[in-house]
Amino acid sequence: MKIKRLLALLMAFGLVASACGSSDSSDGGGDDNETSATTEAMEEEETATTEPEATEAGEVMDDIVVDFGVTDDVIKVGLNPDLSGPFGSLVSEIVEGQTVYWETVNANGGIAGRQVEMTILDSGYATDKGIENYGVLAQESEDGVVIISENTGSPITAAIAEDAIDDDMLVIPLSWASLWPDPEIGANILEKGATYCVEAMNGVSFLNDLVTEAGDTPKLAIISRPGEYGEDGHVGAEIAAEALGIEVVYNAKGEVAGDDRTAIVSQLLASDANMVWVTLTPGETADIFGNAVAGGMTAQWSGNLPSFNYLFHLGGDLAPAFDEYYWQSGFNLPWNVGDSEGMGEMVEAFNELRPDIALADGYVTGWMEGMIVQTILEQAAANGDMTRAGMVAASKEVVVDFKGISPNQGWAGDYNESVVRETYIFDVSLDAFDIQPVSAGTGGTGLPVHKGPFVSDVARDYVFDGPCI
Amino acid sequence: MGDLLLLAQDSSGFFPIFLQTLVKGLALGSIYAIMGIGFVIVFKGTQVLNFASGGMAMAGALFMSIMINDGGLPFMPWSNPLAPAAGTDPSIPRWLINLFFALIFAAIMGMILERVAIRPMVGQPLFSMAVITLGLETAIGPFNRDATSQAARTLGVPWKLEQWKLFDAGIPKSYVAAMIAAAVCFGAVNFFFRSRFGVAMRAVAFDQEAAQAQGINVGRVFSIAWGLGAALVTVAAIFYGMGPFPPQGTVSQEIHPILAFRVLPVIILGGLDSIPGALYGGLMIASAEVFAGQYLSQWTKILGAGYSTIVPYLVMLIVLLVRPYGLFGTEEIRRV
Amino acid sequence: MSFGRPHLRTSYEQDSAIFPTWWQKGAAAFALLFITLMVLGNGAAAAIPNWLFGATWLAPFTLVIPFAIAALGYNILTGVTGQVSLGHAFFMGVGAYTAVALGGKGDGGAKACIPFHENLGLLESAGECGLGLPIWIWLPMAGVLAALVGILVSPAAVKVRGLYLAIVTVGLTFIGLHIARMLPEYAGDYESGRKWPKLDIRLWKEETPSIDLNEDGKWFGLIHLTEEQKQFFFLFAILLVMMAFAKNLVRTRTGRALQAIRDRDVAAEVMGVPEQHYKRIGFAISSFYAGIGGALWASYQGRVSPIDFSLLLSVEFVAILLIGGAGTIAGTMLGVTFVELLPKVVERLTGWLAGELDSGGVISTIANFLLTSGQQGDFGPVSTSPTAPGWPMSVFLWNPVIYGVLIVVFLIFEPHGLFGIWLKFRNYWKGWPFSY
Repeated sequence: MKIKRLLALLMAFGLVASACGSSDSSDGGGDDNETSATTEAMEEEETATTEPEATEAGEVMDDIVVDFGVTDDVIKVGLNPDLSGPFGSLVSEIVEGQTVYWETVNANGGIAGRQVEMTILDSGYATDKGIENYGVLAQESEDGVVIISENTGSPITAAIAEDAIDDDMLVIPLSWASLWPDPEIGANILEKGATYCVEAMNGVSFLNDLVTEAGDTPKLAIISRPGEYGEDGHVGAEIAAEALGIEVVYNAKGEVAGDDRTAIVSQLLASDANMVWVTLTPGETADIFGNAVAGGMTAQWSGNLPSFNYLFHLGGDLAPAFDEYYWQSGFNLPWNVGDSEGMGEMVEAFNELRPDIALADGYVTGWMEGMIVQTILEQAAANGDMTRAGMVAASKEVVVDFKGISPNQGWAGDYNESVVRETYIFDVSLDAFDIQPVSAGTGGTGLPVHKGPFVSDVARDYVFDGPCI
Repeated sequence: MGDLLLLAQDSSGFFPIFLQTLVKGLALGSIYAIMGIGFVIVFKGTQVLNFASGGMAMAGALFMSIMINDGGLPFMPWSNPLAPAAGTDPSIPRWLINLFFALIFAAIMGMILERVAIRPMVGQPLFSMAVITLGLETAIGPFNRDATSQAARTLGVPWKLEQWKLFDAGIPKSYVAAMIAAAVCFGAVNFFFRSRFGVAMRAVAFDQEAAQAQGINVGRVFSIAWGLGAALVTVAAIFYGMGPFPPQGTVSQEIHPILAFRVLPVIILGGLDSIPGALYGGLMIASAEVFAGQYLSQWTKILGAGYSTIVPYLVMLIVLLVRPYGLFGTEEIRRV
Repeated sequence: MSFGRPHLRTSYEQDSAIFPTWWQKGAAAFALLFITLMVLGNGAAAAIPNWLFGATWLAPFTLVIPFAIAALGYNILTGVTGQVSLGHAFFMGVGAYTAVALGGKGDGGAKACIPFHENLGLLESAGECGLGLPIWIWLPMAGVLAALVGILVSPAAVKVRGLYLAIVTVGLTFIGLHIARMLPEYAGDYESGRKWPKLDIRLWKEETPSIDLNEDGKWFGLIHLTEEQKQFFFLFAILLVMMAFAKNLVRTRTGRALQAIRDRDVAAEVMGVPEQHYKRIGFAISSFYAGIGGALWASYQGRVSPIDFSLLLSVEFVAILLIGGAGTIAGTMLGVTFVELLPKVVERLTGWLAGELDSGGVISTIANFLLTSGQQGDFGPVSTSPTAPGWPMSVFLWNPVIYGVLIVVFLIFEPHGLFGIWLKFRNYWKGWPFSY
């Protein structure tokens, strides 16, 4: 009987093998597989090389070369955002900001006579899902996209960075890791604004000035969470501390993990620091900041952009303490702060298209992503090359004008040339905070500009020999 | 602001730190205990390990937050007459009344879920029932996520972050409130078990069919168990939301959903069906967690960042090696 | 083989055959043929509605295979032995990290493979550990090491039973995450993980692999396959071997002992089945499968982060088992396909519905009823534009709701899962016209 079972198994395999053979001749008619089926009889070596070339050459339409994601009347832009995960509510705003941006562009005739269409695939901030989504967006068929205008998070961006180079796919990340200006890792990752590392250099320099002016000797505590984001900000703060000769009295690199932070708070209090730089999530910041203040700490605090969220922190019980001790750092102007042309256009568009949406900071980020992609698409159209590779080439030629929302930015040159070194410092102010912002221009983030865009001496003079981490 | 500056005093001696750690451990233990009792009541009443506790607790806490902040009830045309005037903080009695209504909401939610998803499964293996609650947890999660925006969902805690001073140590009022809540819950549950319904529940926990044969309305016992369980875990979620607990006065998408999973070692340590077990288990596990966090922190490099989070699981594993049914659990008599 | 009475079994061999009837042999062969044809010829996909597969259906299907292998192991532990575990993700992680330590590219030399080197004062930072060994070493070792870890934790696991065991294994998942965070030389960055060795077959560390799975090209000089098709067939072959092994297991002495423990542990012990010994074996075999599945998953994906091996992943296996039908291999396969592909189908279905909004007809009416496009005066619970939080909820948030509700509905109405539905269907027609 054993032999019989073995035979049955072999037979099953045999069927697979014969199926392989037969399918070639029967399935060959008219489908995508035609090349592989018909060339079977011809030279075997050549197929592998000729097939990709046939697609790479692209088709020519009204003098513009295109390959995937661009047709006569449509440009497909892909998004790989986190809409259901931990950053869901923030990223929903970003995606909505971009949606309104494209609606405005399309209403004005689109780009090169084509309407812009968005393909949105939710990653839920899971690396595996994000990689899968990237595969769908980058497929080399009519369903693929020509550029990825939003990719949430350092982990997912790191996971796809290499594939993006292989596929000539341009990606705009929602991540400010210092990896992306490096041509070897992030050649096709278009970081918007400075990096966490530069931000930390500027931020620590600012705290240093603040404490020195008050007549104290600066004693710095640096606290970060594990992962690329945490490490990046942490290293930037360490660089600044070394350059400025600040004593680091508490150094918790990547130690904010898990749910219990008793150890962090007790060591922070024991260190007697008078300035603190954090690279955390909003919830972690609230916990550590709140417990430290409750423990009698009076230091000046600041941290990388995502550590503080005005909606979250200024709406809670800790708001007065944040007002007193915290300085927000950032890469661009928040919603309804300052008086810029770009923000005015955005408010106008939202008043017209989404009159009942309460505007917030996330929409600004989405709007800026739209600005970057539009500039690149227009440059590519002017070059007559709207293929994916054409987008990459165009991205090296442009300088995006953010119309006052953020310093203008280009991506040409090596690390030290292309990295942005300007950031902002905002004064956290409860008086300027209004939880009910509406698109008419009322409401406020509670973050009046204190300083910026500015470059600290440390950040200006620092020569990068690659990413900070 | 005055409250905050008041705290700026030196509290670095050995004794104040020890006292603060002890109070923190007891307060966290109280939260664990309330949540644990919620688990145990559901398990006693219906033999279900309710993995949906986290989602239900957060939904209840969110309801409380909506009642207090939004001046209106969700999906209702009229406004909440109990909400504090816009921009002001609620007084303690008003806050407690709102809390009471949030608990009623949670209880109704628990009863509905029981009727819809658990009642049809009576008699199925324990495992299937537990997995049903996992399905419920997955399904409730997105609603909670949707209701928690980026903006802080504050709980309007009347005493905010105020503290008392005791021997140079800061004792947050919230910690004391958590301990009082645990005492009240423990007392109320013990009182309940002496009542008519409580006796019925104990009978049902012992043998469902025999109880039914004695004329006990088993369905009603199920309903009450789930209602009580949901209300208790909601109490835990609301009191855990108060600062200086990590959510710092809010219902937090980052912190609240995993609260229920952190309580699992507690009920295993105490025994799945023992209410005093949940109380002692909660206090022990939380103390172990907090003291390890405080006094082992200089060895963070060796123990790994965030080591105190797994201390409860390690304690649980060690206890189970010695006593497979927890410290207070009833040993199952195995028959063929 | 008596054709007169097809279901009359005259020997134990017939009763324990892998495919006891000709009908089942035929069905298995047909399934293999069908899958092969589907993968080879894209023409077959044209027959299936576009919203279901689009042009990229092969990748999601390939991704199911590693989960199917791990689910086979979970079925052995929970479906066959009856031990409810919520720690399967932990063992998948053990397998995946064994794979990357043995097969991955290291950048820190041999010293990087010594854990805690920083604390031991060996050197400052040693980078990531990886020995660059070929697949025929790292794949079996991934399974073996996971099995060893399974045996290591079994003293705690075999002592407790029922829900206590489930919670102990929850603890395992959390402890595993902590260890992964402590060992960046193996696990890489806590959030973004590290690169895994690609799937290709080499004899040793030579440059060009003997069988290259990452380039389009000819296989064995016979047939031209794309990269995706090659990977599918490679993984599928491994799955078939693992399935055969799992199917065989339940027919052996060990398999019978495991089933006896599931059905009544005390009775089994009385009959001379050493309970703890066999539970330990069940744990080891299940962990072996998890290890292989985890290694293949990470390697096919190219990069996995430690947080992907969380409790959520373990819960997924519980859902797979219960939705498919506990204790059977066919059920496990149905369950894993259903659970892994369901979110994608829901996602594409809503996308397709949104496209049909203005088409008129029945579908358009349904779409209008369900969907809200974000404009004013439009009702419906599902929002197609990812608006800011609030009602209506975006389709991305509805996905997990549907997933959760389906688990509940399945368990209430069909406790035996998809396989149970099939049995009912089959028995109805077998007994027709008699309904009993």
